[in-house]
Amino acid sequence: MQILTQLIFSGIALGMIYAVIAFGYQLTFQTSDTLNFGQGDALMLGALVGLTLVGLGLNYWLMIPLVCVFGAFQGALVERIGVRPAIKIKSEFGWIMSTIALGIIFKNVAENVWGRDDLKFPSPLPESPMHFLGANVLPMEVLVVIGAVLMMLAVEFFNRKTIYGKAVVATFNDRDAAKLMGINTGLVITFSYALSSMTAAFAGVLIAPLTLTGATMGAVLGLKAFAVAIIGGLTSGMGIIVGGIILGIAETTTGFYLSTGYKDVPGLVLLLIVLAVRPQGLFGKNIIKKV
Amino acid sequence: MKRNHLLLYVVGVAALLLFPLGITNPYYIHLLETIMIYAIVLFGLDIVVGYTGQVSLGHAGLFGVGAYTAGVLVTKLGAPLLVALIAAVGVTSVFGALLALPALRVTGPYLAMVTLAFGTIVQILINEMDFLTSGPMGIKLSKPPLLGHQLDEREFFWLVAVLMVLALIVVHRVLRSHLGRAFEALRGSPVASDCMGVSVYRYKVYAFVISAGFAGLAGSLYAYSEQYISPNTYNFELTVLFLLAVIMGGRKSRIGAMLGAAIIVLLPKLLDDVVLFRYVSVALALLVLATALIGIRRGRTTVQQMAIPVVGSIALAGLSFWLQTMTDWRLSIFGVIMLFVVYYLQDGIVGFVRSALNLQRPKATEASTVVAASAHGDAVTTAAAGDHGAEILNASDVLMQFGGLKALNNVSLSIRRGTIHGLIGPNGSGKSTMMNVLTGIYVPTAGALTFGGRSLVGRTSSDIALSGIARTFQNVQLFGEMTALQNVQVGLHHSFASNLFDVALHTPRYGRESRAAVERAMGLLRFVGLADLAFEEARNLPYGKQRLLEIARALALDPQLLLLDEPAAGLTAPDIKELISFIRKIRDHGITVILIEHHMDVVMSMCDTVSVLDFGQKIAEGVPAQVQADEKVIEAYLGGTAA
Amino acid sequence: MSADTKMLTISNLFAGYGKVQVLHGISIEVPKGKVVTLIGSNGAGKTTTMRAVSGMIAPTAGEISLNGKRIEGMESYHIAKLGLAHSPEGRRVFATMTVSDNLILGAFPRLTGARPKGDVNADLERALELFPRLKERREQLAGTLSGGEQQMLAMARAVMLNPEVVLLDEPSMGLAPILVAEVFRIIERLKSEGVTMLLVEQFAAAALGVADYGYVLENGRISVHGPADKLRNDPAVKAAYLGGSSSH
Repeated sequence: MQILTQLIFSGIALGMIYAVIAFGYQLTFQTSDTLNFGQGDALMLGALVGLTLVGLGLNYWLMIPLVCVFGAFQGALVERIGVRPAIKIKSEFGWIMSTIALGIIFKNVAENVWGRDDLKFPSPLPESPMHFLGANVLPMEVLVVIGAVLMMLAVEFFNRKTIYGKAVVATFNDRDAAKLMGINTGLVITFSYALSSMTAAFAGVLIAPLTLTGATMGAVLGLKAFAVAIIGGLTSGMGIIVGGIILGIAETTTGFYLSTGYKDVPGLVLLLIVLAVRPQGLFGKNIIKKV
Repeated sequence: MKRNHLLLYVVGVAALLLFPLGITNPYYIHLLETIMIYAIVLFGLDIVVGYTGQVSLGHAGLFGVGAYTAGVLVTKLGAPLLVALIAAVGVTSVFGALLALPALRVTGPYLAMVTLAFGTIVQILINEMDFLTSGPMGIKLSKPPLLGHQLDEREFFWLVAVLMVLALIVVHRVLRSHLGRAFEALRGSPVASDCMGVSVYRYKVYAFVISAGFAGLAGSLYAYSEQYISPNTYNFELTVLFLLAVIMGGRKSRIGAMLGAAIIVLLPKLLDDVVLFRYVSVALALLVLATALIGIRRGRTTVQQMAIPVVGSIALAGLSFWLQTMTDWRLSIFGVIMLFVVYYLQDGIVGFVRSALNLQRPKATEASTVVAASAHGDAVTTAAAGDHGAEILNASDVLMQFGGLKALNNVSLSIRRGTIHGLIGPNGSGKSTMMNVLTGIYVPTAGALTFGGRSLVGRTSSDIALSGIARTFQNVQLFGEMTALQNVQVGLHHSFASNLFDVALHTPRYGRESRAAVERAMGLLRFVGLADLAFEEARNLPYGKQRLLEIARALALDPQLLLLDEPAAGLTAPDIKELISFIRKIRDHGITVILIEHHMDVVMSMCDTVSVLDFGQKIAEGVPAQVQADEKVIEAYLGGTAA
Repeated sequence: MSADTKMLTISNLFAGYGKVQVLHGISIEVPKGKVVTLIGSNGAGKTTTMRAVSGMIAPTAGEISLNGKRIEGMESYHIAKLGLAHSPEGRRVFATMTVSDNLILGAFPRLTGARPKGDVNADLERALELFPRLKERREQLAGTLSGGEQQMLAMARAVMLNPEVVLLDEPSMGLAPILVAEVFRIIERLKSEGVTMLLVEQFAAAALGVADYGYVLENGRISVHGPADKLRNDPAVKAAYLGGSSSH
């Protein structure tokens, strides 16, 4: 029973990471109908850059805002190079392939700069587990949950209270009408990519102390976070938290009771099942085409 | 097939077969063998990516399924060559179907992600199920015996070459057939495709399963060729390479697929040899620079457009001199190439060469021989005889609600066989919504729709189309990249009973159906006066002719009921006169017509009955003169009491 | 027309969608402080004209000037910053945002420095006074409003820009007659406050009732134009809508 509770807590922490990455998918999809296939790699770069900064002697807490800034730049770069030209020529194939290409490039660069081995990220919090409801909970796991929730709340606040945030939501609602309001929707899209990569980078430095950090950490994470984005619905913030937690727990329990090799399977299978059973309902937007 | 094309192919195949006799180094034989195997995968992948326009990130997984099916059957059951190959094709096709059935309900990025998930799962399963697959240890194979004779390196090469040529022929035949047209149609306009009886979902699945079959064949050959297979080969990198090959070689082109295969096999080898790579990259930079200069001088491109390719290729050359080894940067180079190809080489190398040399796409040649011989006479079928004036379609209290908006508010219509029934009303009154409800694009919130004794509610658009209701669209929905003839042939898809085997083997049944379709299509084009433009791409036709082509395509369904959505929109006066006479002729064939129009003269001169909608409700109905004078109608259009 | 400042001038405008050319050289002038209406049957090109003016589509040829400045071919967000507000066909309010947020967004260029700021909050309250139905629902999500309320919201949102010119595209579309009357009462009110408007309408009678001047668009060309009260009784107008002897 204790083990189960432990798995649940670990699962929740893991799930929150998925939720934050999924949140990033939502951001760009809502404003531009595009996604970044290299979202997982944005997380990976954030973690590695963070590792380097910490290795240079910078305090973990001071490092976080720097990594966020890096993430924002990286996101804007992806948008400029990969997405904007595709939107211009209205090619869905274009941005899918170019965000994949950029993801591959980032991963390869990371491999060459940081090496192919997984590295240990020093934990900013004590590594001895706390006892909660009879289970061991790492302080870092608690930080992950808090950090993820704070990040999402911050973005929500931005969207609701500031005029620029409202402009972003307006763009998501109706791009043409937003332009009629004087909103430069191209800039909004760049911004949403910057924000999306920033949240991914942030998620990277949160999860890095809990797992191994390396060039390969992003790939499968990105895919599973996509599953969460779909389960939660591309418009519902609450939905992705719930979806993330479900997936996180499913994974930790599978990894323990079955085998670690199969750990990644639940998320992927869930993605297939969800799309097979309820493809429309979970997307949020039921696009009625006018012919 | 043209004489000189055939000659070229024969020479090519001969060269291929003679290769291992001339070059005996097994390393090169194996290299070319790998290229051919990859080409087989790409033939299939091109159907999905090039023709149906979907991104699949799962083909490395399917390739792996094929390889492991062969590997497991050979090592565990001692299966002979042919059994292994056929089983690989079969099993991979089944996997393809299992993936396609759920996955193809979605498109674009969702499909890409789903196929990626599939590929990842396959890799994990191969790795973990070591009782079957020996997991990370891999499986060792040796070259198989065929008909009692042990194949050596050279003979296996010939086997692969023969299979590749056969695969090429099969793909070629499939894509030239009604199946290929269906694949292109569903990319050109999914809505029109469904309404012409070609179910988008079903054909996406077919395309995917066929491509899985090819991947399976290639995978099994790969297993024998490499003589050792392991799980980590079938990874994301490989699937991306396959995609890169297809788009770089050129979509919708067999040569493109082979070229792409050659590039993705040779490029990593090139990158491993830094000295060679330096030569090649400098040559490339010079080539790009020269092309740019010539292009700018001839005015065909600008400095801005050429800036990135020129700078990029020079930077690449510089990089190759700075770095000691390129192997570690292999993936980045692939990534950059992908970016380049996606934005600058959208038609691939084949497309680039074609436009540079001003060559044209090979046109459908079978048609031209038949054109001369086609019979005269009206190709428009006379609709099934029924009592003229009897009710053919009944809409009863139809409610169509979108959120809070009632687009159709309890509308009832009774359409009589053999009549032209007009449907008019101000903007937003619900006319097009009614069309979409009748053709299954929307499912009504409430109400009943009966046609030919059966209910229409809840049936798919392709099902409804095949039961006798055809339509045209307010915003022309032609298959732009296909010719006028091919557009009409898609409408004739229902006349083909031939399946994949008939097409691959060119059975007499397929030959008959194919010829009949061409004749019928030409007849329909003649009916609307477009016979001269039969081989013109639909998107190049003038607007008025496009609308007529849509009508011809709709007639190909042999409909009992034809729905025309604003056919006169954007037409000039003489075109409108022509249109009116066509519609009358259609009616004379016993086909019932529902006509939505804003041009009042068209409506009033042709319609037997006119129904008027306003705010989703029917406000008047009767003969044209009656409706024109109706006060409620006048008010609906002009607003307020008319002066 | 007199020597009033021409707030909006359209000269020989050609526009369309790809192969389909809808407008074949139309010219319209909107003097400051006046209401000009563009009427015509469906497919005539009214909405295309609006979209070309506000930058939603780029014209193929011709000139458009806003207060003397050439704006044809510019991006719509740039044109908005210059003071042209467009209440588009189909309303297109921001459905997941509240009524007051929608209105605040109408003043986006004012809040971000592109236009003189003025007192946005005071203008917000004034707009709500002008549209009492909206005032009752100020915190309601725009997507849950009825068609008529959304139309009013779109119009109020356009006015929030403090614009030089307001384009109203088919405000009556899809509305029940009672609401149509209310919408036109509001247009009258705005007219009395001196707002310059270009009004595109299917309902010729109502439009001509509120406008100073009218243009009739038929198949992408201006067939007839003149002071609104003269047009109201012109048989050519009726024919343009319902067919019949005159035009074709």
